[in-house]
This record gives sequence, structure tokens and C-alpha cells, in this order.
Amino acid sequence: MSPPRAFGNGPGPGLVLALALALAATSPRPVAAQGVRDEGLSVVGKGSARAKPTAAEIDLDVSATAELTGDAIVKFRDAVKRVRDAFAALKLPDVAIEERGPAVSQKGAAFNPYMGMDMGARAKTRTEVQLSRKLVVKVSGIESMEEEAVLQLVGRLIDVAQDAGAQVGPRVDPYTAYRYDISTNSSLVRFVVEDYDKIREEAFAKAAADARAKAERLARLNGVELGAVQSVRENADAQPQQRVYIYNFQDQSGDADEQRERLTSPKFQAVPIQVELSVRFAITPVAGAKP
Amino acid sequence: MRIWLGIALPLALACLASFPVARGQDARPTDPDKVSNDDPARPFQMPPATTEVKEALEDFDRFRERGAWERAFKALYSINEDQARRFVDGADGFIIPVARKRREVLSALPPEGQSAYRLFHDAEAQKLFDQAQGDAEKANLERLFSAYFTTTVGAKAADRLGDLYFQEGRFDRAADCWLAVLKRNDVDLPPAPLAVKAAVALARAGRRAEFAELREEIEDRHRDESVDVAGRTESAPEALRRILEAGRSPESPAVAAAAPDAGPIAPAEGVAPAWRFLIAETIEAGMGTIELNQWRAGALSSAAPAASVDGGRLYLNFLGRILALDLETGKLLWRTGSFHDLRRFASQPMGQMLDPERYAILARGKRLWTVSRDPKDQNYSAAYQLECRNAEDGEVLWKLAELPDLAGYEPTGPPLLADDALFVPAKSQQGQPLPQQWVLALRPEDGRLLWKSEVAVSRQAEQHVYYSNRRESKAQVRLLLRAGSLYVDTHAGILARLDADSGALEWGYGYETAPLETERYFSYGNQQQEPQAAGEAPVDRDGALIFKGAKSSRVYAIDPDRMAVSWRRPIGKAARIAAVEGRTIYLGGEELSALDAETRELRWAVRLPGGSYRGNVIARPDGVWQATPRGVFELDPADGTVRRIFRGDDLGVDSADLITTPDRVLIVSNRAITAYPRRPDDAPANPKENAPR
Repeated sequence: MSPPRAFGNGPGPGLVLALALALAATSPRPVAAQGVRDEGLSVVGKGSARAKPTAAEIDLDVSATAELTGDAIVKFRDAVKRVRDAFAALKLPDVAIEERGPAVSQKGAAFNPYMGMDMGARAKTRTEVQLSRKLVVKVSGIESMEEEAVLQLVGRLIDVAQDAGAQVGPRVDPYTAYRYDISTNSSLVRFVVEDYDKIREEAFAKAAADARAKAERLARLNGVELGAVQSVRENADAQPQQRVYIYNFQDQSGDADEQRERLTSPKFQAVPIQVELSVRFAITPVAGAKP
Repeated sequence: MRIWLGIALPLALACLASFPVARGQDARPTDPDKVSNDDPARPFQMPPATTEVKEALEDFDRFRERGAWERAFKALYSINEDQARRFVDGADGFIIPVARKRREVLSALPPEGQSAYRLFHDAEAQKLFDQAQGDAEKANLERLFSAYFTTTVGAKAADRLGDLYFQEGRFDRAADCWLAVLKRNDVDLPPAPLAVKAAVALARAGRRAEFAELREEIEDRHRDESVDVAGRTESAPEALRRILEAGRSPESPAVAAAAPDAGPIAPAEGVAPAWRFLIAETIEAGMGTIELNQWRAGALSSAAPAASVDGGRLYLNFLGRILALDLETGKLLWRTGSFHDLRRFASQPMGQMLDPERYAILARGKRLWTVSRDPKDQNYSAAYQLECRNAEDGEVLWKLAELPDLAGYEPTGPPLLADDALFVPAKSQQGQPLPQQWVLALRPEDGRLLWKSEVAVSRQAEQHVYYSNRRESKAQVRLLLRAGSLYVDTHAGILARLDADSGALEWGYGYETAPLETERYFSYGNQQQEPQAAGEAPVDRDGALIFKGAKSSRVYAIDPDRMAVSWRRPIGKAARIAAVEGRTIYLGGEELSALDAETRELRWAVRLPGGSYRGNVIARPDGVWQATPRGVFELDPADGTVRRIFRGDDLGVDSADLITTPDRVLIVSNRAITAYPRRPDDAPANPKENAPR
């Protein structure tokens, strides 16, 4: 009769050894082993710059749905043409229309958040073809305009777009937004600072200067001399946080092709940009100073 | 245990709730254009013949193929006469009476079958013909035409019956009799007089396409044949011309009498309204923010009144409150109730169940007729009422619900007024498991029943809603009176034709349609819904009826006199026939679009603010006009270009309709009635017409 095993049918000594080795491999190492250098003087410099929007953009959605795809094409072609013609008739030199690529989708396969209990949605057996295209109406040179003039201009453009049959602004399903607490954007106009790099450059310069000023003060107070800059790191957290959703919804704005990094605001006012830099300077003791 | 019950019970109920729809879907035929009156998945069925009748017709076909004529005719005549007016499937989607089917199969017999038929039935037919005298004349001739048309005396009987119908002014039926004889090539009646009589009857009945075809045939084939008319002998073409001129052909006086309004529709830009009658401000006065939001979120706040113009007055039916306004001044002449209290019902379940589309009004002379339901009625499914009122003061003269034998009938669509009859689509469920669709013909002044005719019986239950908001309105039954025939579009898969004088149901046409949404149990209705276009009445275009069922994804053109489908075309379900002008069919819906009736091509589409789901679209050769939440839009009929926008004082409304009188343009919206003076014909166009206000 064999003696009882301490762990019954549990893991054998080989497995226990492997686990121990794995734990040892992932355990924290001594700080020195990571190569972290804490000499020098580290400061955070902040800089901000403001710029008035130089352009206004209005998102339009043009779509057409039909039982026959041929009809959808006729409707879609007419809808896009009417919007183009309406804006062309304004003969405004600073107004341009950017067209995104057309999308072909189906209409009618609506999302049902009620686990199939909604009988009405199931009753639809056929699919209608939907053609859609996003148009962006862009007005340039608004930085030199008075507020009243800007409002008059964008108001006129919105009127023209609506009269031409375009959907103005984002198309959001209010029920889905309500059910999953998605904040909806009701802005019809987006004000854009086009020369983003220049403003950013200005903010960086201010942040660097702020860092140096702080470092010099600290060095003076601590009786050291400021040396060369040893490292610079931008703190991305300085920009406003974006909301993160736990549900992976489709992008409701449908603007997946808008990849440019730009400065925008829903308001016609100077738009701020903030930059934060972590800078580490080398330090040396001042000659003749007491240690 | 309680928790499990709480989960299991709703799930079980949800499963039960899903059965009616699922069953309907499973039973749908694969080809939606192959429609049968016997398909249990369709919402309506015309009064069906019994199974024995269908078996007898099948037996006839079988014996005919074998040449067993005696047995074939025996099968055919085993059908009882009371079944002759019931309905069976005909050709190409038409649903026809058994009597017509019998005549068709007998007319299609081969020569040996015709000989055998006459051998067996000539004697009986001759006896009926001989007895067709006095009071029995018409009945016997009708029986001969229905059951023995292909016998030797059948043609003579049809000719005499045509004469009788013609004398009664039933030109449509007279033409059918003579045309049936002309189609036979084995009769000894001279064809030229028959052709002339048929042509005159077709002209009087307004069947222009058939008339033109027959006139051409007379001038070609019968030009040298003489006919005797009223003691004069002349050639067939001459006789036809003389009769038509003497009787004033239908092409001239009728058209002149109904000369279309050719003046400018939209007023001059910037013109002040002649008057405004405010609705929304009256209701919303004194509301707090929450109450205002509740009111505006509900369907009642979007409802525009039903309107009718007659004799210098505008009559309105606003959710059961009937009003009369002076067209010249806008002064309120009388009303049956104030409407500021309607806000109370907006947030209550019975108010949410109301379908504002069902309110209707019709005015002529000293009377007006309304379809209404009291918003205060606590019953979700309370019946709508047809009432006749005195146009002077709104006093109720009679109610459909209080007429003898008609108490259980509820109007299912707007009534139609003819010279001496008020036609009312109605439903009744007295002692029946499912409601029946009827058409009632009433004497307009006192509601006396002239006739009633059962058009169809429901195969799906009426809409019942439990603990839920009403999600979609049920399309109303719409009527069209044309050339002595009344056309009824159920908007649920059947277009039927009745004789307007007698109410006899002549045939139906079964068209593709989606099943009705019948029952809803819980409040799972907060999904965004597709807008639904209004169900419109069929439109007559050069003898063809253009129609589209509210839940159908086809637009149809049928020749109702030849009983033939001219064409059918797929179109979005949320489309409606907004107007027909020339060769253009204007389709409303998400867009207003122009469909070429000849080529069936979609020529253009324009998306108007708020769409074109309902309301009046005025279409003329010189323009197309529609009222929208952003003003009255004027479109170029050639390509849909927006030529002009008259903004007016009704911007931001939820629904608007456009009504014209000789000197007023009326915008009837959910917020106000606004009257503008008509622009004179020679008024200059406004150079700043598209400038935003």
C-alpha cells in the first residue's frame, strides 16, 4: 500500500518548479537594473496658444433609397447634383464642396435592441438599396470676418443645403443613443483652425521657455548650475480626454476618412491648444559653493 | 421561484406574441405578383365561391379536354345561381365573379364544343329569351348574357340587354354587352350597327382608349356599310359622327366644364397673408416647458386639420372639432367645440392611440359630412363616426351609427360625394369572426341606404394594441368614381370595381402587399420607424387606372375596361401616387419623383424638406407645387429643379397642405391656416424669390 500523496492528484513537482521559475522571471527587478537615471533636474513646462478659426465646415449627407438599384442611382445622382448646383448658384468664391466617396448599403436591417421581441422589424423581408455620400461644405477665410457676417454666411449655406434636400449635420439614431447613453453631437457647423502646425509650434515654444524658466529658478534656489537638456518628453495627457465607450458601436458620424489632425471647435471663437513638456536638465555644482 | 416566474412569463408571452406575424410570413407565396383570392396570407379576400364551385370549374376543364361535352356542361351548370356572384381567380391577378368565369370558358370552347353546347342548351336559352318580356325582360336577358351567351340566341339577348342598359344611362354595361357580341364571329347580327352602338356607349362612358380603337375600326372596316339610325340610313362612320355631335361628345363639354386652374399658384414673395387662423398658439398658450415638450412630442400636435372648401367657406375637421371659416376674411363662423383642451389628451393613452389621418370632411351646398372620433373616448379602439351636419351652424342632421341597419358600420376612409349619392367605405363585424369591408351608398341629405355591397372580408385581425403606443397608421380605403363605376382601393391588396348605380361588385384586382401589422402587446415600439406614405385614391390616366397600395412595393397601371394589366413596376413601399399629369406620374414619399408613364423610367427625384408623404401636390404642365415646412416649393416638371420657394408665414410646421381657390392660396398646417391672395396672371416674377428671410 502506497503512502498517501500530499496533494492528492494535484500538480507534480515539475510543474511547481516551472511556476516558481516563471514567478521569479516576472518579479520586480532592482531599480538600478532598469537603467533609470534620476540625476539632473526635471521640470514640466506648459505652453498654450490660441487661434481664431480660419474656416467653417458643414457636413451634409446625401442619400437615396429605392426598391430598384437603378432608381436609387437616379435619385442619388439627382440629389448630389441639386446640392452641387445650389451651392454653385451662390457664386461665393470662398465656398467649396469636398465630396467623400459614395457608400452602398442596405436600408431596413435595423438594429433591434430588444432581443427579437420587436415583431415589426422582422416583418420586413426585402432589402432596399441605399446610396449615400458625405459632402463637406467648406468656407475659408472667416478669421477676418465679423461674427455677424460669419453667422449670416453659414446660415445661408445651411438654408441652401436644406432647400436642396441634403441632410445637414450628423445622422444619429436617437433611440440607440438614448439606450446606451451616447452623447449626441447636435452641432451643424464645425469651425476649424487650419494652420494647426504653426499654432502648435508656438505652444511648444512657450512650453519649452516655461520649462527653462522653472528649471533656472530651481537651480538658483538649490545652488546648482543648469546644464544641457538631457531629455524632453511631451505629455499627451495635457489634451482633453476623449470619452471611451464599452460598446463597440459603429462610428455614427460615418467620417472614417477624416484622418487629419486638426483643431476644431463647435464655436466661432479663438481655439486654445495646450502643450506640456517634461524636460530634464543636467546640473553641475556652482564653483566655490558649499556642498 | 418568483424570480423565475418573472423571467419566464414575459418570455412566454413574447413567444406567443410573435406567432401571428410568423405564420403570415411563412405562408406567403414565393412570387409576390402571383396573387390568388384563396391565399390565406393575404389581408383581404373577396367574397369567395364555395369549394364545390371551384371543383365544378375544374371538372369542366377536365371533361372539356377529353371532349366529354355533356359531362363538362353538367359540371358547369351544377353551380347554383346564388354562387354566380361569388368570386374566383381570373387571369393576370383579376378576381372575377363566377358568372363571368362561366361566360369566358364557354366563349373559349372549340367549334365542336360550341355545337355540343348549343345542342344541349339552345332550347332552354330560347325559352328564356321568349319569356324576356315585361317585368321579366331585364332579368331574363341578364341571365342569358351570364349563363347562355354562347347559345344561338345569346348574341341577340346581349344586344337587347345593351339597348336596355343604354336607355337606363348605364353606358358602361351597354358597351360591354355589344363588345361581347362583336368579339363573337358566329352571330348573324350585322356588325356595323353593333359597332356604332358600342362606340357611342364607350364615348358616353368615357372609355376613350377603347372608343378611339373602335372608331378607327369603324372607319376602316365598316366605312362602306350602312346603318339605320332614327329613320336615317347612312354609312357607319357618318352615323357615328352625327350621333356623337348631337349628343355632344364627351371630349368637349365635360373637359370645358372642368377647366383646370391655370393661374399662378405661389403668391408673390413677401406678400402679407390675407388672414391667419391660429391653431397651435391657441392650444399652447399658457403651457409650461414640460407640458409644451410633452405636447409637441405627441402625434396630435403634428396633425393638420382635414379641410374642404365650398361656397366661400372653409370647413375644417380638427381632431373632431368642426369649424367653418369665411374664406374672404378668415372670420370664424361657427365651431362645434374649442380645441385648447386637446393638450390634455396628448399625454394620455387614448390620445396617443388616435390616428389623425382618419379625420375627414366633405362639404357641398347646405351640408357637410365628417368622419371623426372623440379624443375623450377612453376606448383605444373606439369607432370613428360618419356624421352629416348643417353647413350653416354645424348641427348634426344624421349619423351613420344611428341609421336603421347601419349601426354597426364604421367608416374606413374618406367618403366620396357624387351627384345623388354619398359613397362610404365602411367595415362591419356583426356576428363575424373577422371584419368585412363594405361600400355603402347613402342618400346625402338623409342617409337613406341606396345600396350596400360587401367588397372583401378580412383574413387578418384588425389592429389591436395593448400597453403600447400606436406605431403606424392603417391606410384608409380610398374611392374613385369614374364613368359610372366606383373603384375601391382597400390599400390591403385588393382594388375592386363596383357599379355605382346598383352597387354590384364587378371584379377585383389582387395586388402585391405586405401583411397588416395586427397586434402589439408590449411597449417595444421605441425603435425609429420608417415614415409611411398616405394611401391615395387610384388616378385615371387616359383610361388606365394608376394606383399603389400603401403597403405594396409595386405601382400598377391597369385597363379597367379591358381588365388587363398595362404594366406593373417595383417601387419603394413608402411611396404614394401624389399626382398624375400628362405622361408623368408624380410619386411622393421620401422624395417627390417623376415616373414616365410610357417608359416607366424614373426621370428625376427631388428631396423636399419633410418629404412628400402626404398632402396635396399640384401638378400642371407649367409647374409642380407642394407645401413643405420650409415654404411652398415650385418645381420644374421637366427635371425637378426648384424654381422658386415661397417662404410665407408657415415655416417650421410639421405637416402642411396646399389648397387653391380662384382668389386664395391656403396653407393648412398643424399650426395655422394661412390664406394668401392669388397672384394675378400678369404679376411679375419676384427677382429675390430664393433669398432667405
